[in-house]
Parts: sequence; structure tokens; C-alpha cells
Amino acid sequence: MATRTANPSRPHVIRVLIPWIILTVAGWIAVSFIHFPFDLSVQGQDQARTLLIMTYLATPVFMGVVVMLVYSGIVFRRRPGEQLVDGLPVTGNTRIQATWIVVSLILVLSLAVLGITTLISSQAAQAIGAAGRAIGGEGETGAAIKETGSELQVQVIAQQWYFTYRFPDYGGVETTHLELPAGVPVEFHVTSLDIIHSWWAYQLGVKADANPGVDNQFHMTPRTTGSFTVRCAELCGIWHGEMADTTGQVVSQGDFNTWIAQQQSYFAEIQKALPSYGPYYFPAPLTKGS
Amino acid sequence: MSMTSGDLITERRLTIPTGIPTGILFAIVGYFAGVWLGNLFGLFDDQNTGVILGYLFGTAAFLIGLGFLNYPLARVLGWPVDALGEAYESRGLGRYFRLSLDHKVIGIQYLVTILTMLFFGGVGAMMIRTALLSPDPTIVPPGQYVALIGLHSVMMIFITSAVIVGPFGNYLVPLMIGSRRMAFPRLEALSFWLVPPAAVILAAATFWGGFPTGWTGYPPLSEQASQGMDSYVVGFILIGLALVTSGVNMLATIITLRAPGMTWSRLPIFVWGIFCTSALGMLAAPVLAAALIMLGMDRTLNTPFYLASNGGSNYLWQNLFWFFGHPEVYIFILPAFGIVMEIIPHFARKPLWGYRIGVVGLFGVALLSWFVWQHHLFVSGIAPVLRPFYMLSTELISVPTGFIFLVALGTLWRARVWMTVPMLFCLGFLFNFVIGGISGVYLSDVPTDVTLHGSYFSMAHFHYTIMGGEIFAFAAAIYYWLPKMTGKMLNQTVGKIHFWWMFIAFNSTFFPLFIAGILDMPRRVSAYDPSLVFLNRWVSISAYFLFGSMILFAANIIYAWFFQPVRAVSNPWAARSLEWQLPTPVPAHNFERVPVILAGSYDYGMPNAKPVADLRGLVGATGGS
Amino acid sequence: MAAKAGRFEAAEAAARAVDLRVATVGMWLFLAANAFFFAAWYFAFFYLKAINNNNAWLIQGLTRPNRAYGTIVLVMALISIAAYALASRAAAVRTVGWRLPAVVALVVGLGACVFQGYEMWHLGFGLTQGSYPAVFAGLTASWLLEFVAAMFWLATIISQTRLGGDTVTRPASVVSFANALYFLGVVAVLNWIILYFLP
Repeated sequence: MATRTANPSRPHVIRVLIPWIILTVAGWIAVSFIHFPFDLSVQGQDQARTLLIMTYLATPVFMGVVVMLVYSGIVFRRRPGEQLVDGLPVTGNTRIQATWIVVSLILVLSLAVLGITTLISSQAAQAIGAAGRAIGGEGETGAAIKETGSELQVQVIAQQWYFTYRFPDYGGVETTHLELPAGVPVEFHVTSLDIIHSWWAYQLGVKADANPGVDNQFHMTPRTTGSFTVRCAELCGIWHGEMADTTGQVVSQGDFNTWIAQQQSYFAEIQKALPSYGPYYFPAPLTKGS
Repeated sequence: MSMTSGDLITERRLTIPTGIPTGILFAIVGYFAGVWLGNLFGLFDDQNTGVILGYLFGTAAFLIGLGFLNYPLARVLGWPVDALGEAYESRGLGRYFRLSLDHKVIGIQYLVTILTMLFFGGVGAMMIRTALLSPDPTIVPPGQYVALIGLHSVMMIFITSAVIVGPFGNYLVPLMIGSRRMAFPRLEALSFWLVPPAAVILAAATFWGGFPTGWTGYPPLSEQASQGMDSYVVGFILIGLALVTSGVNMLATIITLRAPGMTWSRLPIFVWGIFCTSALGMLAAPVLAAALIMLGMDRTLNTPFYLASNGGSNYLWQNLFWFFGHPEVYIFILPAFGIVMEIIPHFARKPLWGYRIGVVGLFGVALLSWFVWQHHLFVSGIAPVLRPFYMLSTELISVPTGFIFLVALGTLWRARVWMTVPMLFCLGFLFNFVIGGISGVYLSDVPTDVTLHGSYFSMAHFHYTIMGGEIFAFAAAIYYWLPKMTGKMLNQTVGKIHFWWMFIAFNSTFFPLFIAGILDMPRRVSAYDPSLVFLNRWVSISAYFLFGSMILFAANIIYAWFFQPVRAVSNPWAARSLEWQLPTPVPAHNFERVPVILAGSYDYGMPNAKPVADLRGLVGATGGS
Repeated sequence: MAAKAGRFEAAEAAARAVDLRVATVGMWLFLAANAFFFAAWYFAFFYLKAINNNNAWLIQGLTRPNRAYGTIVLVMALISIAAYALASRAAAVRTVGWRLPAVVALVVGLGACVFQGYEMWHLGFGLTQGSYPAVFAGLTASWLLEFVAAMFWLATIISQTRLGGDTVTRPASVVSFANALYFLGVVAVLNWIILYFLP
């Protein structure tokens, strides 16, 4: 305030900029230690990377607001005992406003471009049958299952309150747990027999809602072997919290073949009673008050 | 006007004593009549028809008992009716306990009702956090836990739809625009009197074991649910009706009843916030009402709107609900933006920096909010080709939201900040909302949303925006305007303790929940992974502290309002804006004459600034009479 | 003395102008809200028709609603609305002489309500038989409820025309009410086209 230079704001600007830069750099260093554990699949890795980039971008924004708030609250504060006087009668500044609009637009658009390219590149990958796909999914009701061939088809069937899995490539066997071969692209078909659930395989970075009468598709490629947890992420009644399975495994192709053969023989009797494989299974009309 | 109609009033009047006791009596009779009728004609034997009709009849009978039928009945019988303005001459304490058409009385009624509901919603939150002390549903059984989730969430949605528009919008908008009344006082009263029945009906769900769907009410779960779900259907329809009536009234008032000289560019920014939020509420709630009518038909007449096997689709509900639901969350936050931008200049003692861009920000958020609803459905399996569009539109909302921050920070820059309690809450709002807003961007990105969707991350996100945002702004408004509304100043030292306590406890409660969400904890679960026990216990204990800060808040309000003998001066903040130029308590018709507005509300420090208004008014001016 | 009376009359005229503006603006706002309500129903119609889940939008062999009934209801509603249009135009130039068309509007309108109710009672199909019957019942019932409410309002307007009634002292509600009826007329025509010809 004491300095009567051409722009009396300048000392304040400098005193705001310095802590802002320091805090932003400190924040970035802290962010660089973050590890998001949902990177067992190519798609999960994409998500973790996007999340990290967003956190890097968000750090200066957050720090900027905090520094401004704290600085204004302390430096521009009316001291105790000081008389109540008015501040500067400034009603705006076109240049600063324009800069703000442009910068925020650039930030937002670059985020959108980042997100959309993640989506589109994965869709392009889908077209050539390559492995790296983030999220496709066509819940187009009535659409037949695509004849892709190169992907392992896994149908996830949700019901109150557990998930089962059917493998059309292996005679439509229905299993109660899930194992997947590493490195093989998987096409999930998520559907439900009763109400809406959401199939969340955390470490694989997969989440897809299970709707009755809908075939919700999700493409995913596990990178390496490891275990994963499956939970329901859509409120589905009283045992929603218990609708979890921690036994999911990504295993080698050989182990997977052994496992699926075991399952086929284990569930052979039950399979005779199952309806034939379909994109979805219409539930019987509900009775209420249950 | 009073002269002409006063001569013509005859003695033909309804003589039934109307009021809350009559209303409750009527409501009980109406409820049982509805249940009887529903069970007589209901198509199915599960009582849903009876329960829904019972709630509807009970509410209608309650409103009739309060006296809402007197006016339309008198009109249809051809009797002379009172002109507006006759009705609110009574100044006694009793006016707060009956149907009043005075917007100031309605504001106070709203405030007390909302605070009471907030207490119950908060108790629900404490019970949820208590249940989550243990990773297994041992403290609270899972069925009751799910019911608690439903009651807490819907109760809080009811509250936050009206927490600012109800008390402060109704009380202050006419005072701020220089009007002697509201445009539609009967609609305004209706918008209030629908809220208590909605809350009671919601609470009645406990008799049926609650409802298991949370506030989103997704079918088919909501069709499978027991009769508790009927409370959700009827209660939400009533709140939707309240949003429409309140929206029509507020918009008509702001558009037509501004005092001479109160041009659009002089309108206080808080009124702009109310304007935008009213427009959203008025247009969004009918969509919800239609969706709820379909749900009610599904539950009573067995129509298949949402049942896939019979030709319906649960996506129909998701689309209609979120088409309402996303504007709804801006219904919560826009008046809070208004409050923050309104209060900051008065304590910064500076003009609002960038008034126009602030208004553009409010309108930008309001407009964009119609084009984002499918971001709630990124993993639901519909319309994958539209996902990039909804991602872009959602992220674009952060641009107009940023304008609010620009205005607030610009106003603070080189100000002479008077660090009062309302100002502290405004700064707290800005801090919390920047976290809430940034986490919203995380959720708007499709790839990251795949993991974060439906997890505690999104739960922490909206608690940051609603509790850390709207409720902080609400607290700021209470500390700022209660001296005008009640004539009592809240204790500033206790207020400062309350602020820091609440601020720290709030962040300590909700920030760890972001981490819980990233670490694989879905929302609304009664059981969670044992590795998250420490995090959850930390949150629960912080939540108790947060509740404690709210108790201190309540104590501060109750002491100041009812026990403190000292009356506040009429303008304790030395603020320029119009409502502070009125005497406390505000006279029955606000302004003796319609004032003439001479200058903006925020012209602090302007050389030769005129006073904001000439309260002697124009002779013969009737702008707001 | 005369100047004072003149000032009072000017104030009264200004108050009436404000009343009219409030009523007109309020009605437009309410109709905007109402438009969103019916838009939700139309969305439900086209969405469920497009999805046709389990091929159960319109089950094969289902009795269609009777077009003749629908047309009669529509014509009666439109006659009622046209009569009120005449009435409100008459009311704009003089305060008497508009009662007869308004009464005609009320009687024909109530007839439309009764007949629509009769149709709803004799649909010929059950509401559980697919999603078209569901939308038909819900949309028609929503329109019917609003039309009944509008007729109640019309009745109040007519009965307030006697001495000292507020229709005379405050004509704003008479004028703004016309827009509500026009709106319901538009909805009636849309419903008729969509429900009887597009399923």
C-alpha cells in the first residue's frame, strides 16, 4: 500500500505469486507419490493416468484459490480498532476477466480433449481389433452379440445379491466366481435378472451397470496376473453392501484353461437346467411388497 | 384497493375455525378416508393404492383445514373475496402458527421448519456414521441401514431444495427489490405449507420399514419395495409442487414488482441467484412429477412404465429423474452463489467486482445444467455415442462456476475486509466449493468416472458442494440477515468458534471420503472392506464433532432469538443495500410508500455515491402495491 | 377535492395495470412449467415406443382405443375453448355480454370431461398389457385432471361476475385464464394425434 508506483497492486501480486508457485510445486511433488491401485488392466491404467493428469492440473487451481483467500483474509483485513472505511471503488477489469475466461476455457477444453481422445483412441483400437480399449459398451436393447471372435466373451449376470458369469465360448457354462486369462481382451456383457446392479471390478478398472433386459458391454484387457475384487456399485436392496467377491483372479492362459475345464465339469449337472445363452434374460414380472 | 373492496365485504363467510389443529384433524380423517377408498377400489391387494391415496387425501385435507379452500370456495360460490393485503394485518405471535400471506411470516415459518428438518436429517447422518464404525453390519442391521440412507438422503434433498429460497428468498426478495408484497402470496403460502406434510409423509415411511432406494428411487428396486416407497412418491411430488409454486411466485415477483429505478443492472446479485434457481426449479420439478406419477401408477395399477419385461424401461426413469436431478443440484447451489456474492462486497467495503460477469455466471450454470444429465449415466449402458458430448457440457459448467470465484476474489482484492462471521462463512464456502468443484471435474471425465462413479468419491463430492457449499452459505445468511429478520444479533464470538469448529470438522469428515472412494468403497453400503476401518472410524468421529458444531449453531440461534434481551440496531453492518435501510422489525407492508431506487447496492467507496433509495417514494407510484 | 379523486383513480388504474401484468406473467411462467410436464409424457411415449422392450409396446391383437371417442372429446374441448375465446374478447371491450359464451364454454367443457371419463372407464384393454396402454392412461388422465381444474376456475370466473365479485374488480384473472385454456387446447390436439394415430 505504501508504494505509490504506477500500479499499486504490483507488490501484492508478487507476494501472492511466490507462495502460489511454491505451494503448487510442493503439491506436484506430493501428487507424484500417488499411486492409484486400479491398474491391473490396460483400461484401468488409462484411468489412473487420466486421474493423475487431472490432479496435476487441479493443483495450481486449488492452490491459487487458497492462496488468494488466505492472503486477502490476512493482508486486506481491517485491523481491530481501525475505522470502518470503504475500499477501492473498482467495479471490474475487462482484461483480467477476459484472461480468466480464456484460461478457464483452455483448461476445460484440454481436459475434454484428453477425455475424448482416451475414448476415441480406444474406439479406434476397437475397430482394428486391438487390445487397448477404455470403455465401449452399447446397451442397445435387442442388439445381438457381435461376432468378434478375437475377444473372450464373458457374460456377467447380476441378481439379488450376487454375480454369476457365463462363458458362451465354453458351452455357456455359468460360474459363481471369475478368473480371466492375462493379456487376452475380454468383452463383458453385463445384464441383470431382477433390478439394477452395477458390476465393479475395482483393480481391473471396470464398472458397468447391470440392467434387466439390457446387454451392457464393456471392453477390457488385463495386463498381468493378479487378484481383483468385485463389488456392486448400485444400491440394490438390503444386502447391497455384502454383494462383493474378493476371489477374482487374472491368471495365465494355461491356468485359465484348467480352471474353466474344472468349472465345466463341476457345473455340468446344473447347466442342464439353465436357459440357453442369450444377450439378456427377461425377468418374470415383479410381485410387490416383498 | 383496500377502500373499494372493504366496502363490499359482507358477513357471508366460512365459519369453520381454520388453523393447524383443524388441519391435523382433517388430515387424519383424510388419510383414513384415502386408505379406505384405496382398499375398496385398489386393483391389487398390497395396499399401495390405499397408502398413496391416504397421503394425498391427508395432505389435501390438511391444507383445507388450514384454510386454503376458503378463497377458491368463496370465489366459486360467487361470494365477495378479500383483496390481497387484508389478510396480513395481524401482528401477534399467532400469525406464525396459521396460514399467513405475509412473505415475512412465511420466511420465518420456513426457517424454523427447515432448521427442525435439518436436525432430523443430521441425526440420520449420525446414525449412518455410527453404523459404519464397524465394517460389518453389526451395529445397525442392513435393512435398517438402507432405510436410514433413504430417509437421510431424501430428507436432506427436501431441505436443501428450499433451505435458502424458502427462508431468505421469501423474506428478502420483496425487501431487496423494493416491493410491498409478493406477486402470488397464496402460491407462496402453499409452497411453504406443502413442506411439513412432505416431511411427515417421508417420516411415515419408517412405519413401513422405510424404503431401500436412496434418493434416486431407481426402479425396478422402487417397484419391488414395500409401502415405505409410497412415502417417497407422494412426498417428492409435494416438494415438486412446492418448487413450482415457489418458482412461479418468485419469478413473477422479480419480473413485475421491482420498484421504480430498480433496473435489471441494479438488481442485488442475491436476487439474481433466486431468479435463476426459481427458473430451474419451476421447469425441472414438473418432469420429476411426471416420472413420479408413472412410478405411482406402476406401484398401484401395475402399469409397466419401468418394467422391461412388459415393454417399459428403467432408463425412462433414469432419464426423467436426472433431467430433473441435475438442474436440482444447481437449485441447491445457485442461491448459495448469490449469498456469497451478496455478502462479500458489504464486508469487503468494495463494489461487487464484475457484477455482470457474476450474473452471466449464474445464468451460464443455469442454462448448461439442462444439458448434462446423462453424466449420471456414463456407466449405465445407454447412448455411448453421446458420452463425449455430456463430458464436454459437464466440464464446460466449470467455466461459469469459475466466474463466481473470479467475482468473489476480485471483490476481496485490495479490500478493507471486515472479518465478521458471515464473511468467514463466505470464505469457508469458497474453500470448500473449490474442492467440490474440482472433484466434480474428476467425475465428469468418462474414463475416470468408470472407477469413481457410485463410489464414496462422488458421495464426498456432493457433500462438499451441498454441505460445504450450500449449508455454509446458509450459515452465512443466518448470521448476516437474522438481525433484520428477528431483531436479534447472534453472538459473534460464539459464531467465530462455530465457524472454525464446523470448518475443520467438515473437512476432516468429508475429505477422507474421497480417499475411501478411490480405495474401492461403494456408496450406500452397510458393510465394507476391513482395510478401510481406520478411515471410516476417523470420519465417524469427525462427523460427531461436525454434529457438535451444528448444536453450537442451534444454541447460538436459539439463545439470541429467544433469550437475548438486547435488540439489534436496524443496520448493524452499515450495509448499503435496500433491506438494511428498513426499520427492524420490518413494518407489515415493508415500505410505507414504494421506494425510488437511486443507486446500486454495492457502491462502496464511490465518490458522491447517492443513497441507495429514496424511501419517501414517488407520490402515486404503485409499482409494488 | 377533484384533483384528489383524480389522483386516486389514476392510482387505481395503475394498480390494475400491475395486477394484469402480474397475472399475465405468472400465467406464462406456470404454462412453461406445465409444458415441461407434458414434454416428459411425450418423451415417455416416444422413448418406450422406440425401445419396444420385449416387443411389448403394443401387444399384437390389443384393442386400440376408440378414435371416435377421442375425436368427440377433442371437438368438445375445442368448442369450449373457442367459446371462452369469444367470451374473453367480449370481456376486453365491455364487461357484460360475455357471460353467455363463458357459460357455454363451461357446459361443453364439463361434457368433454364426463365423456373422457367414460372413455377411460371403457378402454377395452388392461393397463398392464404393455407400455402403450400405460402411457395412454397416464397422459390422458393428466390432461383430464388439468382440464377439470380449468373448468373449476372457469366456474369461479363466471360466478364472480355478480356485483362486487372479484372478476369485476380485478379482471386480470379473466384475461390471463384464456392462455391456460389455449394451452390445454394445444395439448389436447397433440395428445389426440400422438395417442390415436402414432402408436
